[in-house]
Amino acid sequence: MRHVAGRVGQAVIACFGVLTIVFFVMRLSGDPTLLLVPEGATAEQIGALRHELGFDRPLLVQYLAYLGDLVQFDLGDSLVQRAPVAGIVAERIPYTVTLAIGALLVALGLGIPAGIAMAVWRGTLVERALAAAVLAGQSLPTFWSGILLILYFGVYLGWLPTSGADSLSSLVMPSVALGALTMSTFARMTRVSVLDELSRDYVAAARARGLSRMAAVGRHVLRNAAIPVVTIAALEVGNLLAGAVIVETVFAWPGIGQLAIQSIAARDFLIVQAVVLFVSIVYIAMNLLADLAYAAIDPRIRLER
Amino acid sequence: MRRLALALPLLAMTATAALAQTKVALVIDLPGDVATMDPHVQWDTDSYSVYRNIFDNLVTRDEIGKIVPQVAAARRYADVTTIVFDLRTDIVFHDGSKLTPEDVAFSVRRIINPAFKSPQLSQFDQIISAEVTGPAQVTLRTKTPYPALMAQLVKLSILSKAYVEKVGDQAFNQQTMGSGPFKLRSWQRGVQSNLEANDAHWRGRPSFRAVTFRAVLDIPTRIADLRTGRADITRGLTPDDAEALKGEKALQILSVPTERITYMFVNAQAGPTKDKQVRQAIAMAVDRESIITALNGGYAKPVNIVLTPANFGYLPDISGWPYDPTRAKVLLKEAGAEGATIQFLTSPAYDRRLNEAVRQMLGEIGLKVEIVMLDQPTYLRRRQGTPEEAGALSQGRWSCACQDADGVIFPLFRSGSIWSNFNNPEFDAAVDAARVVLDEGKRLAQYRRAFEVLGEEVPGIGLFQDYQIYLARKELKCTPTANEAYFVAEMKWPP
Repeated sequence: MRHVAGRVGQAVIACFGVLTIVFFVMRLSGDPTLLLVPEGATAEQIGALRHELGFDRPLLVQYLAYLGDLVQFDLGDSLVQRAPVAGIVAERIPYTVTLAIGALLVALGLGIPAGIAMAVWRGTLVERALAAAVLAGQSLPTFWSGILLILYFGVYLGWLPTSGADSLSSLVMPSVALGALTMSTFARMTRVSVLDELSRDYVAAARARGLSRMAAVGRHVLRNAAIPVVTIAALEVGNLLAGAVIVETVFAWPGIGQLAIQSIAARDFLIVQAVVLFVSIVYIAMNLLADLAYAAIDPRIRLER
Repeated sequence: MRRLALALPLLAMTATAALAQTKVALVIDLPGDVATMDPHVQWDTDSYSVYRNIFDNLVTRDEIGKIVPQVAAARRYADVTTIVFDLRTDIVFHDGSKLTPEDVAFSVRRIINPAFKSPQLSQFDQIISAEVTGPAQVTLRTKTPYPALMAQLVKLSILSKAYVEKVGDQAFNQQTMGSGPFKLRSWQRGVQSNLEANDAHWRGRPSFRAVTFRAVLDIPTRIADLRTGRADITRGLTPDDAEALKGEKALQILSVPTERITYMFVNAQAGPTKDKQVRQAIAMAVDRESIITALNGGYAKPVNIVLTPANFGYLPDISGWPYDPTRAKVLLKEAGAEGATIQFLTSPAYDRRLNEAVRQMLGEIGLKVEIVMLDQPTYLRRRQGTPEEAGALSQGRWSCACQDADGVIFPLFRSGSIWSNFNNPEFDAAVDAARVVLDEGKRLAQYRRAFEVLGEEVPGIGLFQDYQIYLARKELKCTPTANEAYFVAEMKWPP
């Protein structure tokens, strides 16, 4: 319990830090009023809007008002769209969650078997081929690999829709593009973890009892090798959210990543702020979850001081 | 996921339509999402593209840019500040109610009401009242004689007073309703807007039965949508895209000169460019033709002044400063500014290649140009700040959406405007006068005076008129217009 309370406390402090950093970073480049007025606005109109939005108050007063609003879960109204920010962001979250699940399935479904294969067939051609694929998944930028996927599977083969979010088949390419990096992480983690376990005595004992190598891996090694992989999975969710900004833009997937880009283009200050806050808090929550999951799986962590 | 499930039948419909012989449903890929469906709030190109099909406006522009009647069948000036509009009586809103003079008066009062805080207020705030003066008549009064009024009214959509008052502003923005050729069926914010044909429209049945506007941010993705037939038309292509797609048999490239001008601001109040000769030398050192060929692939038109031919007030016969680097060098030497270093402010919103090209051209006449890349808020703060921090040069693109010189050179160069670092009483007098005289000949004479001052003093350099490049399926018949609108009712898809 003490462990859990400590971790939750740290997460709360991290959240507070994020709120503060977001507030000051958004104001770092100066007064946002200039971004919000139409091109032909007069100095009086700019002054009136500045006053209305409270940007003419001292920074500390603005900061306290901002914290006060957040405590009441009030993210304000979008000046551009004339609708509550919370509603606009909430509408997009299911899309990003769907995409993150899709990407995680791709990453786990391809990454773990690839990792196991690379460990089991270490030093063979299989490992080299898979290592090349993993390296490609890790190094290709999504804004490029996404376009290649669209050109090949969408335009050339015509198998999948080139953009949008109106059917399950629309989910395939964005999931692959987004999952590629995470897939590579899983493959590398699984490989190291399985190799580590393969060198243990219990594996030699199992083999001596007459178990085949695959049976030994399936029955004994995977369970032990899973611990680090499970915790990585939780951390990777945060990375998926960050990667979603590019993938959603390339595939016209209407999640919060696309919302962030649209809002930056439309200079919709409060929405950008809300998206940054949301992603940061999910990231912190996932880290917390990983910590707690790790402790639940491995009692030694809980007992450490 | 429920949203996805809901959208599935829609996709099936669109797909079936795409296969049919004569196209009934048009799909348009927009570079961004609709910000507001309420036409009195945002007027960015993407929002405008969609809601302009849902509403009728008081007046509109035809394909060649002439202002023609729409809701107003006729108009006349009772005196220089009083304009009487005779309205059509055969227009009905999508809910079946008749469009009345009360609706027109309400629409004007709503957008000019300071409490409503329309971002478009500055375009309509010369109007002081709108009164119903007959069974099919509305009279507007302006503060002073206001020649740009008609150009501004092109953007004024007529709303149903009863409907807006019944549902309230916020709900109206979500579930909007007008009298235009298409009605809003559904709007998934950030995803797409689905419109269906309004068969009761006073101009007759539109040839497309439905139209979907989708938000697709990335250009390569929009191109892929067009190549696979997932979308039928899109805009915002770069000249390089257009060049690469020329061989595509199923597609056509359409382009149109817009009213947007790419210009350079030249600081007349601080630094080395405070000297008029230096500013004139800079104007002569810029080779517009090379820029247009090399950077715009020919998709732009050089201008002699800071205005495009799509705007009222454009004067093709003002000579400007033709490219003459030899004379530029001499002028610079006379001014004693050889080897001077000047700052060129820019932000990611502008084409960086243009900065580089200008730097090289000015380098050739002996000016060292330091390109200062700023984030947009800092760029705007410095650009609109004191002359000392505004830099010697900065890049800009300007469109007033009114196609009138008043919306361009007045905010850019009139002393007292936030954009202006220029103070010339003769120029101020000319643009002030052109603002309050209705006679077009007299206005043009004032603009000639204004442009002669700008030509001599060079507080800004017009570079070129921007083109908008569209990509469409070959079968689609459509004529893009200078105001970058999509009028689906004007589009056809012959069998």
